[in-house]
Amino acid sequence: MNKVVSSTGSVRVSADIGGTFTDIVVQDQRTGSTTTRKIPSTPDNPANAVLQGLREVSETACIDYFIHGTTIGLNAVLERSGAKTALVTTKGFSDCYAIQGNDRRDIYALDYRKPRTLVPPRDIFSVRERIDAKGRIIESVQMSDLDAVIEACERENYEALAICFLFSFKNSVHEIQARDYLAAHLPQLSISLSSTVSPEWREFARTSTTVLNAYTAPPVKRYLDQLVGEIRQIAPMTNVCVMSSNGGGMPANTAGEKAIRTLLSGPVGGGIGGEHLSKLLDRPNLMCVDMGGTSFDASLVVNGKVALSSEAEIEGLPIQTPMVDIHVVGAGGGSIARASDGTLRVGPESAGSRPGPVCYGRGGVEPTVTDANVVLGRINPENFSGGAMSIDKTAADNAVGNLAKTLGMGLEKMAEGIIAVADAKMADAMRSITIARGIDPRSFTLVVYGGAGPLHAASIARSLQIKEVIIPLFPGVFSAWGMLQSDIRHDFKTALLSPLSSLDLNVLEDGFQTLAEESTRLVQAEGLETSKVTNCRFMDLRYIGQEFAHTCPLPDGPVDIANVVTAFHEIYEDHCGHSNPTAPVEVTNLRLRTTCHIEKPENVAADPDTNRQYAKSVFVTGDSGGKWIDVHHASRNLLEPATVYDGPMVIEEATTTTYVPHGWDVRTHESGHMFLRDKEA
Amino acid sequence: MTNNVDPVTVEIIRNSLNSCADDMNATLVRSAFSPIIFEGRDCAVALHDEEGRTLGQCSGVPVFLGNIDVCVKLAIERYGEDLQSGDVVIMNDSYLQGSHLHDVTTVSPIFFEGECVAFAATRAHWQDVGGMDAGTTTSSTSIYQEGLRLGPTRIARSYEIIPEWEELLRLNSRLPDALIGDLNAQISAMRYGEKRMTDILDRFGVDVFLGARDKMFENTANNERQLIAGLPDCTYKAHGYMDNDGLGDEPVKIAVSVTIEGERMIVDLDGTSPSVEGAMNCGLPQTLSVVRLAYQSVINPAESINGGSFLTLETRVPEDCLLNAREPAACEWYFSPLGLLADLIIDCLGQAMPERAVAASYGDSMIVSFTGRSAERGQWIIFEPTAGGWGGSPGRDGESALINLSNGTFRNIPAEVYESQVPVRIEEFSIRKDSCGAGERRGGCGVVRSYRTLEDCDIALWFERSLTPGWGIFGGHSGSPPAIEIQQPDGVVHSNLKMRPTRLPAGTLVRTMTGGGGGYGNARNRAAELVALDVSNGFISEKEARDTYGVMLIGSEHADLEEA
Repeated sequence: MNKVVSSTGSVRVSADIGGTFTDIVVQDQRTGSTTTRKIPSTPDNPANAVLQGLREVSETACIDYFIHGTTIGLNAVLERSGAKTALVTTKGFSDCYAIQGNDRRDIYALDYRKPRTLVPPRDIFSVRERIDAKGRIIESVQMSDLDAVIEACERENYEALAICFLFSFKNSVHEIQARDYLAAHLPQLSISLSSTVSPEWREFARTSTTVLNAYTAPPVKRYLDQLVGEIRQIAPMTNVCVMSSNGGGMPANTAGEKAIRTLLSGPVGGGIGGEHLSKLLDRPNLMCVDMGGTSFDASLVVNGKVALSSEAEIEGLPIQTPMVDIHVVGAGGGSIARASDGTLRVGPESAGSRPGPVCYGRGGVEPTVTDANVVLGRINPENFSGGAMSIDKTAADNAVGNLAKTLGMGLEKMAEGIIAVADAKMADAMRSITIARGIDPRSFTLVVYGGAGPLHAASIARSLQIKEVIIPLFPGVFSAWGMLQSDIRHDFKTALLSPLSSLDLNVLEDGFQTLAEESTRLVQAEGLETSKVTNCRFMDLRYIGQEFAHTCPLPDGPVDIANVVTAFHEIYEDHCGHSNPTAPVEVTNLRLRTTCHIEKPENVAADPDTNRQYAKSVFVTGDSGGKWIDVHHASRNLLEPATVYDGPMVIEEATTTTYVPHGWDVRTHESGHMFLRDKEA
Repeated sequence: MTNNVDPVTVEIIRNSLNSCADDMNATLVRSAFSPIIFEGRDCAVALHDEEGRTLGQCSGVPVFLGNIDVCVKLAIERYGEDLQSGDVVIMNDSYLQGSHLHDVTTVSPIFFEGECVAFAATRAHWQDVGGMDAGTTTSSTSIYQEGLRLGPTRIARSYEIIPEWEELLRLNSRLPDALIGDLNAQISAMRYGEKRMTDILDRFGVDVFLGARDKMFENTANNERQLIAGLPDCTYKAHGYMDNDGLGDEPVKIAVSVTIEGERMIVDLDGTSPSVEGAMNCGLPQTLSVVRLAYQSVINPAESINGGSFLTLETRVPEDCLLNAREPAACEWYFSPLGLLADLIIDCLGQAMPERAVAASYGDSMIVSFTGRSAERGQWIIFEPTAGGWGGSPGRDGESALINLSNGTFRNIPAEVYESQVPVRIEEFSIRKDSCGAGERRGGCGVVRSYRTLEDCDIALWFERSLTPGWGIFGGHSGSPPAIEIQQPDGVVHSNLKMRPTRLPAGTLVRTMTGGGGGYGNARNRAAELVALDVSNGFISEKEARDTYGVMLIGSEHADLEEA
């Protein structure tokens, strides 16, 4: 992989930090020629691998633009290693964060425990103040109550503080007064206000969002300050951006202040890459799947746009911020197969990366999906991860063989069965994602990437009755590649609860005007070129009495409520299969999305890396049962553009292996992306 | 039919059936009109075979899942061969399906190659089906006061509601638009189920599908037989008292014995009170459902339910029994005695399997309902169950502020949503300190939830379990019973745990307190650091730490420890 960039001109660079490798993608600003490299990750300080990559790149080229997916915020949450944080609430509601939704997600568990919060009850304080549902002040802030908070902060050394008062999305004055008072006494404290972080109703979800921001802001800011400082020394002219969970980039200085928006910074790259493929290949609806050795994530592109969710969860804790809707579907290749009640179960237990599958030889004993692929010859032990990692095929055979004996099956049948159950479960989970959005998965094209994905792509597609699969260029570093396709994107929102029938258009325009001013301030602070900035307005709408609101785009120009209502009924019908044109509609939020376009050259695949082709025995599942046959293996770059090759076939490249089963064919698009087609569909 | 479907295909089909039910439920929740469904998830969905046996189901409200098969069988009995694709049969009769009239079950046949091969079914809570009071009633003494009562009734053809039926339903509800909206959401879910089942049958063929079904049932049945056979043969007994039936002052006894006999388990409710005058009677199918739920929770919590489940379980209920309601017994609050019944069965099973024992929970839905009428809002209703404390178990404290067994995935209504919809302000929602039952593993705490009325309105309350609060096991203490404090602006005070709809003046404060869970083991054996942590986190007071746990706390600095 480690190739020298041939041009001495300027380049755009992206980096995606994974558990094992940090993926770097480098694109020539003028020719579009793209190369990739993998640097071993440095978990103690993830910036080190990134900086090493940038140093290597800067030896031969000038880095113009650098975009980065950071995992610092997410890891702080997963490992509970974020800032020591205090929370201040309205009197009477200090336990709101601990009570959560009070629901039991596992309905049969008698010893069910709620998701673990980031701030324990002893670090939560409350203040006498109250604003009502119309935003009127019922009781003003009792500043003396804040003195206890100041005293506690000094005693307990809190690094961050979240303030969430009831109805602050209607009237933020109390939160601002409290912040000003606290900041005057505690200038070092990083303070997050719920009215700034998430001006939206539902106090628990808003508190959770604000706490997540407070908890992650200090480590994210420290990390970015250090990273940007060091990049300045390597490449002083580089624009440094961070991938935001909403699928856009944001300048690093903004990211340090809005840590909440970096939580899904890494994995969203794949969705953005999908959005780009959708336009390039003229496929409006894509289901994007990232399957690694031990992970499996899915996201959607609908009508050319990556699907966002405004009600996501992290570790079971709600987060109210627009995020690329990434579904963690299961363990992928790491899922463990077991016998239970005479049937085969695959997952949800996972071997993780430690010990990992049996074939990794790190102490795993229970067979996994990856082991089943090794048994069937679909993973070539000599060429796994480009030969970077050795594979113990005998151990995989033994582990799968033991399970086969328990269930009274042959070795290959067992391995096929493990893969079939895993593929069907992944397909079921992906179908649920589309159904929950009211979408039929059959109208989608599947995009599959990640180290393990292209092996399973065709089988998953068939379970979903999807006829076409895209294996993109650089499938092993697709998230990093996707980041290079992004624009700068900022989302703004404000709560506005009103029936449309009695909505005052002046109030509506004022709301959007306030958002536009907020946007302009940020655009100026970031020094973006205003000529490249576009704004799009949205309203969250629903039938009165309903809970779920749908985010509906507004055309430019003055708002015509009658048209808005008609558009809402159509969107509702699309999502739910029925609509109720006589029912009254209400607005819950106004949203503004600001996009600053970034110039990007066309993508051109760089020079081929290997030129191997050979025949090797693979266990192939056919119409009349499976058998071992010699299957054509070829390096990906040997496929002639536009030529159709029939399966079974194995296509190898440095970062992944694609399996084209019997009944499928494959061709390469002029852009270098590869199409698999189900011939029987 | 194929008898030898391989374990791989069985597992793929089993997973796809449960996934189909999940997707049906997602369809229902997404398109429902009433907050109690889309917010409270007061609904459930299941797929059944041509005889009505469960193929797959989706979590929602657990007490619904153990008996939807009964409704499918009723629809088959009523219409048999006459059913066609797109027909929708609905029912809500309390004696036939067990619940109150608000819970409406829908059943549709699924045809493949001209044969009826399966049924899709849903159940959802309709907010108003008529009856003497808006929303809910606490004072009914016969089913005829509780609303529109439907036996199995074909209400739609080709998934379109028959117009005269729609008119009839609308005329019998105070919230007709929501009712029809929710019914259409249920129909959408079943339509999806038909489509998806057709895909599954297309892929595998009927023979393989039926073979896999039989194998799946057989595996589950064998597994349960082995689990029961592994328990010592013995009879375990438990009993407790409901406070009253909502009308009188007489305690109402619930008695259970659980007998393990080889591969069988017999649950006998002999000794339980006869029918009561108040609205606390429960039809047999819901009683069976809760017995099944308790059994599943202790015996096999990780497994999904299918037609092979519960074949080892026999339930005996006396003829004249409040848990075997007969016409015209009132059933609006049928779920209230079921909470105690579940805790009693779990107690018996805990005696049989001490390593899986769990102390009793706060145990009731603890319903608070406000209704009113104003120029601005028209008729309005808000209705919610309240969370409380759960029991401790070996190695684990009970969870605090968690919804009761029968409400499963129900989430509390945020104060900001509540106050935006109705003229009631929530002044406090907090953990109720010292309400947890003490123990080596303590119970969870209940909550305090206070409401201030901003306009004149009616309040109804149904709080239970003051006579038999969440009890402790193996030496653990009981959690606190529930309590109510109502203060009118004119100084009048009430503390009734149950209240039929009563007009309260604007400015009244209603302070509700739910009970805690029972403790597990001797409180004196609880680690001192855990006691200190409980004090600093506000679950118990320093006094409780000293008096009950024997732990003296010195100064305000407490150990920085993680919760157990």
